[in-house]
Amino acid sequence: MWEEYSIGLLGVLLCGVIAFVALAIEKDDLHRLLLIDLVEIPSLGIVALLATDLAEALILPGLVVGIAELLALSQIYLVKEGLKEQPEGRLHIEVIEYADAPLILSLFLVVYGIILSGFTGGGVAGLGVVFYFMSRGYKEDLSLLEAAAGISWAIWIVSFFVFMFLPQYWLLAVFGAGGGILLKVIAKMSLVGTMWGRSHE
Amino acid sequence: MSSVGGTPLFLLEFGDIVMYFTPYTTSLFILALVFTCIVILSRPENQLDIIFGSDGYYTKETEVEELRFRRFMSIACGLACLGATVTGDVFDFTLFVSLVGITNVGIVAAVRSRHVQNAAFQYGIVALAGTVPLFGGAAIVAATNGTLSMIELSARTMSGVPLIAKALLTLGVMGEGMAPFYAAKAEMFRAPGAPYVIMCSLSSLLIFLRVVEVIITM
Repeated sequence: MWEEYSIGLLGVLLCGVIAFVALAIEKDDLHRLLLIDLVEIPSLGIVALLATDLAEALILPGLVVGIAELLALSQIYLVKEGLKEQPEGRLHIEVIEYADAPLILSLFLVVYGIILSGFTGGGVAGLGVVFYFMSRGYKEDLSLLEAAAGISWAIWIVSFFVFMFLPQYWLLAVFGAGGGILLKVIAKMSLVGTMWGRSHE
Repeated sequence: MSSVGGTPLFLLEFGDIVMYFTPYTTSLFILALVFTCIVILSRPENQLDIIFGSDGYYTKETEVEELRFRRFMSIACGLACLGATVTGDVFDFTLFVSLVGITNVGIVAAVRSRHVQNAAFQYGIVALAGTVPLFGGAAIVAATNGTLSMIELSARTMSGVPLIAKALLTLGVMGEGMAPFYAAKAEMFRAPGAPYVIMCSLSSLLIFLRVVEVIITM
């Protein structure tokens, strides 16, 4: 087992070294931004080599931190390069814009996500909502969605406090945490890419 | 448990994650708390530039919106420092440290000046690259010892933490707490808004001081 771990570690570190060398050679800021995402992946690889359920619990925050830093950096890049134009992100395909298929697909994903519940379910349902927004565009006020994300996050945290300080109400806390993280991930994922520059309007 | 920081005054348990307050971590905690309060309460300075060779000067206009964002980031940075100084879990420590890194980037990146933003972008890349050795170090600690709890790690008679894990952890903290070394990039610190920029330096100092304790304890 140790031998396999060592070989894996060696492989991941090699990937890391290659990525860092690329980062050192590259001079263009945008390419650096893309390469830094590549550098992130070996760090998740080292954690994943643990191959226990602890690794799963550690990868998630690691991934979230990486994405958060990447989003922040790309925002800084946009501001410092003075890129203000809103990208025309929508696909002008008749089937996607007018047919019922995207609605049915995203409905299926949302329902299936709610059945799964928890973080995975949130991811699946969020994907459905993102797909719907991408295909139909959006004109709605998204502040309600933001509020929902915040409140469900608070429910999630409160449930964890129940686990720690009032363990006899664990069932309530399980439902609170499962539902809270489901709502939060749906809301947060559906906001990705749709909030572009709208906060100042 | 007796560590280099002294015997714990009291332990705060969140499930299996234990915050411990030794005299050393408590003093770091109090320092972070006091400075967070200062950031919350203080009013930012207005910067004056003197025109060289004359008595004239001009004031720099700073938008309230920008200062509000920087204050928010500084407070978030202070909270991350509070966590990083007392947490008893190696992976928690790395998460708090990377949070310090993100908020430090945020504090400088809000300034509407191209030079400052260039510096912030470079610093952000260093901070993001720093997460690789940081998480790598924590993962190797978990792989070799089966635990991430500093209390359990310090209780062992034979230290099972390999030197490479300690080295990676230190390297990661250096990457995240890079801000003071960027003092050479004067643009970053010439930006208006006095108490907020100081938060970068203070938070880096705090996480450097803490990682020394973590490394010796393990």
